[in-house]
Amino acid sequence: MSAIPALSVSGLRKSVPGGRLLFDGLALTVRPGEIVAIMGESGVGKSTLLNLIAGLDVADAGEIKIDGGDLSAMSDDQRTILRRDCIGFVFQAFHILPHLTLAQNAALPVLLSGGGEAQGLSRARALLAAVGLEGRAGSYPSELSGGEMQRVAIARALIHRPALILADEPTGNLDPESAEKVLTLFAQQTRDARAAAVIVTHSDRVAAVADRSLVLTAQGLILRGQ
Amino acid sequence: MRALLLALLLALAAPAVALAPAYAPVRPGVALIFPMDHGAHSAFRTEWWYVTGLLKTADGKDLGFQVTFFRSRTAADPANPSRFNPDQILFAHAALSDPAIGHLLHGQRIARQGFGLAHASTTDTDLVIDDWRLKRGANGVFSARAAGADFRLDLDLAPQQNVLLQGDHGYSRKGPNPAQASQYYSLPHLAVSGSVVRGGKRVAVTGEAWLDREWFSSLLDPTAVGWDWVGLNLDDGGTLMAFMIRDKAGKPIWNGGAIRSASGALTTLGKDDVAWGRARTWRSPRTQAAYPVERVVSVRSGGQWRRWTLRPLFDDQELDSRAAGGPVYWEGAVRTEGGRGYLELTGYAGPLKL
Amino acid sequence: MVLGEWRAHPARVILAAAAIAIGVALGFAVYLVNRSALETFAKAIDTVSGTADLQVHSVTAAGFDEGLYPTLAQIPGVAAASPVVELNAHTAAGASLTVLGLDVLRAAAVTPGLVGQGAHSFDAQAAYLSQTAMTALSAKAGSPVTLTAAGHSAVFTVAGSLPGAGEDQAIVVIDIADAQWRFGLLGRLQRVDLKFGADTSTQAVQAAITRALPPDAQIVTQRQESHRSDALSRAYRVNLEMLAMVALMTGGFLVYSGQSLSVARRRPQFALLRVLGLSQRRLILQIVIEGAAVGLAGGIIGVAAGTGLATLALALFGGDLGGGYFQGARPHLAFAPGAGLVFLLLGLIAALAGALWPALQAARSRPAVALKNADLGIDPRRKPPLVAALVLLMIGGALAFAPPIGGLPLLGYGSMAAILAGGIALMPALARAILGPARRLAGDAPATRLAFDRLYGAPGQAAVALCGIVASVSLMAAMGIMVASFRGSVDDWLGQILPADLYMRLPDLEAGGFDPAAQDRLAHAPGVAAIEFRKVLKLRLAPDQPPAALNVVPIDPTAPQRALPLISAVSPLPAGETAVWASEPMARLYHLNPGQAVTVPLGGQPRRLYVRGIWRDYARQFGALAIGDTDYVHLTGDRFRSQVAVTLAPGADPLRTVAALRAVVPPDIVADMTFTESKSLRAMALKIFDRSFAVTYALEAIAIGIGLAGVAATFSAQTLARTREFGMLRHVGALKRQIVAMLALEGALLGAVGALAGLSLGAVLGQILIQVINPQSFNWSMDTRWPMGLLLSLFGVLVAASAGTAVLSGSRALSSSTIRAVREDW
Repeated sequence: MSAIPALSVSGLRKSVPGGRLLFDGLALTVRPGEIVAIMGESGVGKSTLLNLIAGLDVADAGEIKIDGGDLSAMSDDQRTILRRDCIGFVFQAFHILPHLTLAQNAALPVLLSGGGEAQGLSRARALLAAVGLEGRAGSYPSELSGGEMQRVAIARALIHRPALILADEPTGNLDPESAEKVLTLFAQQTRDARAAAVIVTHSDRVAAVADRSLVLTAQGLILRGQ
Repeated sequence: MRALLLALLLALAAPAVALAPAYAPVRPGVALIFPMDHGAHSAFRTEWWYVTGLLKTADGKDLGFQVTFFRSRTAADPANPSRFNPDQILFAHAALSDPAIGHLLHGQRIARQGFGLAHASTTDTDLVIDDWRLKRGANGVFSARAAGADFRLDLDLAPQQNVLLQGDHGYSRKGPNPAQASQYYSLPHLAVSGSVVRGGKRVAVTGEAWLDREWFSSLLDPTAVGWDWVGLNLDDGGTLMAFMIRDKAGKPIWNGGAIRSASGALTTLGKDDVAWGRARTWRSPRTQAAYPVERVVSVRSGGQWRRWTLRPLFDDQELDSRAAGGPVYWEGAVRTEGGRGYLELTGYAGPLKL
Repeated sequence: MVLGEWRAHPARVILAAAAIAIGVALGFAVYLVNRSALETFAKAIDTVSGTADLQVHSVTAAGFDEGLYPTLAQIPGVAAASPVVELNAHTAAGASLTVLGLDVLRAAAVTPGLVGQGAHSFDAQAAYLSQTAMTALSAKAGSPVTLTAAGHSAVFTVAGSLPGAGEDQAIVVIDIADAQWRFGLLGRLQRVDLKFGADTSTQAVQAAITRALPPDAQIVTQRQESHRSDALSRAYRVNLEMLAMVALMTGGFLVYSGQSLSVARRRPQFALLRVLGLSQRRLILQIVIEGAAVGLAGGIIGVAAGTGLATLALALFGGDLGGGYFQGARPHLAFAPGAGLVFLLLGLIAALAGALWPALQAARSRPAVALKNADLGIDPRRKPPLVAALVLLMIGGALAFAPPIGGLPLLGYGSMAAILAGGIALMPALARAILGPARRLAGDAPATRLAFDRLYGAPGQAAVALCGIVASVSLMAAMGIMVASFRGSVDDWLGQILPADLYMRLPDLEAGGFDPAAQDRLAHAPGVAAIEFRKVLKLRLAPDQPPAALNVVPIDPTAPQRALPLISAVSPLPAGETAVWASEPMARLYHLNPGQAVTVPLGGQPRRLYVRGIWRDYARQFGALAIGDTDYVHLTGDRFRSQVAVTLAPGADPLRTVAALRAVVPPDIVADMTFTESKSLRAMALKIFDRSFAVTYALEAIAIGIGLAGVAATFSAQTLARTREFGMLRHVGALKRQIVAMLALEGALLGAVGALAGLSLGAVLGQILIQVINPQSFNWSMDTRWPMGLLLSLFGVLVAASAGTAVLSGSRALSSSTIRAVREDW
């Protein structure tokens, strides 16, 4: 187990363009293999926090370190490369590209980092098998159900062995049964990969698979139930 | 002297550039030789064969008719060897006076001489314009063929008397200037037989006609506005021709004529031997021209004045040829005491301009 | 819903409508111009022939013997006959006129419109001028005019006008006798105009006339005259109608692009409507009606614009749009509401056809699936349609071998349309076939691989984006290839037929010219190394064809290829026959082959001539025969020649030689002589060629522009629709520049595929133009040339434009909001 936290956030402040302060002095540390759920009311800034962590948005103050790398010191390109190499994403709407096979979709991060195609695809096949889509690497997304698409997304999030996985309502578009299966799979795969995960969600079921559930409020992150 | 349609011809012949061709002049003392002089005299500017007459149809109706062929020599360059050279232009006109119709039916043909389509023989009367014809046969009988849109004439004209040489042995003066004259002879009392087609119906006719032959190069005095002419076949076999050239005031500039008895005694009428009186005037509803359609002609022969009152077959024998560029005039069949013939009245609708 | 969609993407709607409008406008304008020209031409014929019931016309300009005139006049049933001498004359200032020598007394009955107004006389100098002739000669009544015709000059005085001659024709009427005398045509007539009696049987009279005609005269009715004038401009029209087709098809494909995209975008919306109970038929109807609205708008604008264009074109170029076919007549616009409606319908049909396919696709998709995912209906498993494409291509191929209909290559056009549609339908399959192997060669850069994968996975989208431009590029390439081939062949041909250095001719001369003595003097003029004397006669061989030409040329029977650019094998001459050589149009029009005999009136007699071979001729679209000089003299005894080809002695100065030649020519014709150096003759010929295709080039550029604008509009729409994809890629670590590079590459690849498809299709279509359309409409063939410069630049422009548009629209799509696009927002 690495001594470095997969994600460490401290003193984070962010206002919305209108001037309203979302949070200030926010701190969060996630260790490898740990799954953290972030909950909270709509508009409280959950997605903004996720974007800040992903380096897609810039904080007003504070520090974000991913796998030891300090985001605030990085240029946009450096942050992009950091995302590419150290972060995996799972979206509510899957965002699987219809013109690529499942394996190609899963191997996208490898492709983007310039990794060998063959290597990327074989790992993608292995991961697809692991998420229950064995033998369907050559299929196209139009054949899949929503749950299956999200499994492809999970494979894509893990393929490059990221330190951190960010998920935004990963079961928001799924029926309860699929959601359950996908969640279980997500948690298992994340832990197997020794990756850290931050899930933004409204769902208690999602929170249930997390190691910690935090609630984002105007005062910062509060451990759920406290 | 007749033939007002000639105005058209003369206009056609007028040179645009003053380039007067050498027309032959009419001179006194030229003996006429027949049948040569029945033919065309192409050196002269104008010539005509003018047939007028009265017909009786098989069913007893009276008709008047007129068939005229004109020849005109133009100002065209005689050096042009083209067979289309318009040196000689032929024109023909025919009219039928039928009291039952009440106005004239007429038709015409015009062509430049050539190609056998239009031709005037210089050796005897033999005139052709397309389907129209006037020809003197070997037996001396003239045959005339003419057609308009609504009539057709097919007539044989047999001379019963000798040629009547008008004026001084055929030299007929028309004005104070001796050059204002024509070569002029007549063949009166032609026995007519043949047929007339009207309204698509052919009817056999007989009758009596008159042929006037004239050729000249200059004719009218500049002060003349028109003329009156009459030719009568008298029932006793005698013949009368009289004409008057009028000025603007209606006064005669020149008079002339001839009277010949059945026995052949000829009196040539001089300038003072003819007088014209008016009996009745008819006003044309179309042109408003007033024509003295009933005329009293007095002639002095052998020191005695004789009078004839001319009565038209019907009043409206006016001929309006303005559409073809010609004049408006009156030419019609007339009857008189002991005779019948044709009267021509020109210059009444306006001065006749040649 | 429709309005909302149009408000959201006005550019696409406007472009599609514009393309349709351009197609309709072009087609309609060409139709109107031609119709107006034909009407004017027909009127001009009316004017020249008056109200004649029938004309007997000479076969050659030398006329027939005037003895025919009384013969015709006396045929029963002929009410009137008017003999005519007809000449092409020119003035010292170079104005060209038709001189009619008439017998006014006869013409009055047959062609009263030709009887002049003004003082009448048989004066030899009197001339009556139509208004156009008055203007052309700046003459008024009384002014003198000098006319030159048939090698003679004569002075006339304007005696009056020809109010019956209309405004369009430069006619001078003089007396027939003077026309014969002063232009050296004694005994000859070119025409006799006839009028029939009211109650005669036209057929019987015509039969009697036919029996009376010598071989050098023939009957021409007015209908045949109009047919001939139609034939005059037909071939030229074919090119312009072709361009109209380009624009119309481009428009149709742009409608297809627009509707495809908008259907794809609205898939969920349609799915919702379907779920809510909209029937499949209603859905199809709705989409088709949207397309129809675009077509209708384009069609209406097109008909209006076409009318305007035609008016403008008539004013600027005349009835042949600069092609030089209708001389002397300036047509007025003849409006044609019926035809306008037809062209509007054509625009509508193009748009409907464009909208139908997307409509069917939208109706086919399963609403439940479409509701759930907004994937633009992309399914890479779906095989690109192959059967339909191949069937269309096969139909096109078959039609290319079909004969012309009514002398027009209609099926040839059908073939082109089918091949074009088939080729475009083949695009997706072609894209895959090209991109599959190319992808393996392209390397592993992420942007490259993404671009290839995208195009390989969604070739249908590429086809949607490109069909418009492929249509216009392929048709343009086809035109370009045809024009280049034509120009190249004409250039070669000019080199073959103009081997001498100096050419000298007398204009409009059939009778007279250089007699043997003059020829001898010319041959011995200083500076002359070799000299050839020629002559061209007009031959009216068929009443409904414009006159053909008879070229009298010195031909060496053992080496005919030295005198003529032969394109067939030479048939040996049987004993006792006289050889003649047919030009290619001649062979096609009169169905002549080497080894056949043809009867031609020569010297007033029918002569049997034996066709030994076919030669290429672009000068006389209506056919020409070449006869050897000695054979011609043998048949006709005519030793006069009007054209001279001079080869200069080495070192001889052309100008001095011209002066020397001029000095030995009879003084009465020296003023009419024109000298041309073959260099400038060739340059002039090519200039005329380029001028007559100038309109073509301009319109080509417009069509390409529209096609490119269509590509731009479609690309930006497609790119905008992919915002989420870019957002996801940015999330998972794609750099902005990688995405831009990907888009640029996608664009370039698409452009390349499109250009490749377009140019290959263009090559095929160009062959159809060269091998089918041109021979069928112009009656001449050409050797294919590839305008590599044009084709390469088309390729380059298309690739650059596609890549550029893709990048531009990509940059727009990559704004900061891209990142938010991954969040669910609906």
